[in-house]
Amino acid sequence: MTRGRWLCTAALILTGCGHRDRIVVGSKNFTESDLLGEIVAQQIERRTELPVERRFHLGGTFVCHQAITSGQIDLYVEYTGTAYTAVLKQAPVADRDSVYRTVARDYAQRFGLVWGKPFGFNNAFAITVRRRDAARHGLRRISDLARLAPGWKAGFGYEFLERADGFRGLASVYGLRFAAPPTAMDLGLTYRALAEGKVDVIAGNSTDGQIQALDLVVLEDDRHYFPPYEAAPVIRQATITRHSGVAVALAQLAGKISDAEMRRLNALADVEHRDIATIARDWLRATVP
Amino acid sequence: MSLWAFYARNSQEVLGLVGQHLYLVAISTGAAIVIGVPLGVLLTRRPRWRGPVLGVANVFQTVPSLALFGFLIPLPFIGGIGATTAIVALVLYALLPIIRNTYEGVAGVDPAVREAARGMGMTDRQLLTQVELPLGFGVILAGVRVATVVSVGTATIAAAIGAGGLGVYIFRGVAVVDDTLILAGALPAALMALGADALLGVAERRFAWRAP
Amino acid sequence: MIPALEVRGLGYRLPGKGKWESGDGRFLVRDVTFTVGAGETLVLLGRSGSGKTTTLKLINRLLEPTSGEVQVAGERAADLPVTRLRRRIGYVIQEVGLFPHFTVERNVGLVPQLDGWPPARIDARVRELLTLVGLDPDTFARRYPHELSGGQRQRVGVARALAADPPLLLLDEPFGALDPITRVELQREFAALKGRLGKGMVFVTHDVREGLLLGTRIGLMLEGRLAFLGTQDEFRRSEHPEVRKFMEAA
Repeated sequence: MTRGRWLCTAALILTGCGHRDRIVVGSKNFTESDLLGEIVAQQIERRTELPVERRFHLGGTFVCHQAITSGQIDLYVEYTGTAYTAVLKQAPVADRDSVYRTVARDYAQRFGLVWGKPFGFNNAFAITVRRRDAARHGLRRISDLARLAPGWKAGFGYEFLERADGFRGLASVYGLRFAAPPTAMDLGLTYRALAEGKVDVIAGNSTDGQIQALDLVVLEDDRHYFPPYEAAPVIRQATITRHSGVAVALAQLAGKISDAEMRRLNALADVEHRDIATIARDWLRATVP
Repeated sequence: MSLWAFYARNSQEVLGLVGQHLYLVAISTGAAIVIGVPLGVLLTRRPRWRGPVLGVANVFQTVPSLALFGFLIPLPFIGGIGATTAIVALVLYALLPIIRNTYEGVAGVDPAVREAARGMGMTDRQLLTQVELPLGFGVILAGVRVATVVSVGTATIAAAIGAGGLGVYIFRGVAVVDDTLILAGALPAALMALGADALLGVAERRFAWRAP
Repeated sequence: MIPALEVRGLGYRLPGKGKWESGDGRFLVRDVTFTVGAGETLVLLGRSGSGKTTTLKLINRLLEPTSGEVQVAGERAADLPVTRLRRRIGYVIQEVGLFPHFTVERNVGLVPQLDGWPPARIDARVRELLTLVGLDPDTFARRYPHELSGGQRQRVGVARALAADPPLLLLDEPFGALDPITRVELQREFAALKGRLGKGMVFVTHDVREGLLLGTRIGLMLEGRLAFLGTQDEFRRSEHPEVRKFMEAA
């Protein structure tokens, strides 16, 4: 072979080798996803000999989905409801198990991706308002919003605005007609905007640490518009096959995080600004010794 | 969906976002001119201030736009989520080219012209309004042109902090990996920048004075 | 008759080593005294750096004198607001300094416009002056400086200096940047012109022949002082070493 060909082949072999012996963990662009990604990454590191490369804060659901289907990452934590409505584009249903079964089956068939067991909590979209507004107008459920919407301003992150299980469906199911189109901004800023009075209602996440810290209230999804959103690791079939230790390591995390526990961990990161790697390490040491 | 179909389907929203974008750029560039031109003139009268003033303006230029938005958000009055913060940031970005070009335009007047003007008994204000500003106008316009084109681009990032504008489409498109959406925002923004560049370039050439 | 210009003990000293500046404190102009009557032309001669241009700038306060006194047409220069002083003095410089964005007529009419003359009066005066300096008003009034030759520009410069009919004219090597032929032409015309104007003039040059052609009296500057002050004849006959040097170069 010519020298050029030799070099290319050598490079290919080396990178191929490298990739085989390395797990790439991704995460979406919000705190909880980073936290779960770090927990998963550290768990794999402590239970197997494999080095883990982290590619966190990648972007939204669709960026991560593209990354994993194209092999740029091996694993990330996804939510069943999100996979169901946004990726598989099914109309939302309320039953947890049926949603899980469907996504597990379809992801395996269509994308060669395997769903691990859920961590144990449900992180739904949380339609959130200020506590004093909830008290003043007697708001407990999302239906209660309909009469106030024409005089109120809404603010949402970009993904919620675009997704099928996002704003459009919500507005139609609950008859919400706001005076102006919702203000769009980076998801992380919506809490601040709500607290400062720049907007009156946002779609946060039910396990966010800032809800309590900023004196906010989550409205009940009385018409069951949102599907369940159970978080679980999604991993490439090829990776599971090549490294059986990974499946064992991940199984140890199943069912270990309750709603309250996730909220506590999120608050440590978002409200107390503690380092994510430290939070993950402390939690693993305490919960999965 | 093709881009044109998208525009046809959402024409009202598109026009709204274009209007918001123009608003951000126009207000911020206008404010930067009101602040920057007098400052630039002042620098020609007080040479010792040149280093510090240009230095500070330069610092703002080097801060990445998203970072600048982030720094401004917590501040009272001028901060917070929304258009105000974006406009403040855009003004800070536009200041350096405008101040510097005003200084160059005014200071760059032929020294013989300035000496003759003073020697004949023009007051400082007459010198400024009848000689220096008219002769330097082309260079000042060049600074405004640079500032405007940069503003159009930077204003797309303002959508991240809720300021609206064409960046809304771009961010939405990035969130769901939709090329049509991204293009729907990027294309008009690019056209706006090119248009501003061309228009102001024409004006600039009209006002450039050939040395005798 | 009040002299057009009286200068007594005029001096300009550079700032020394002080809190804000670091200079050497030397004198650029020292102890200069002379008088220029109406209709008289004093030629300030001297080599480069002798202080002749500095002296000129001390008269119209483009530089502020550090010592001595200047009187223009009987008024103390230091007492007048500086812009009012300068409008009573015509100023012609080597580079001319016409405003490139003004037409010839706007350039010439500058000081009358600053003084608030009615437009009709300015127009008439501009036409009169352009004719005086040898430029046909109908051809040249609407032209811009970049459309003129060097000689034509300096003619406009002289017209501009005369516009408000000042009692005193200061000229700093006005023909120095022109080609030799144009220079001689303008020197001759200027020599003829100034006789009719009846103004006091201080004419700075380093060209002896030009000085002898145009000056009623000659002042020779050397290292900031007036080494010689006298008529043309006195100049030619003087034994002063610096005068000798200049006469040899003529």
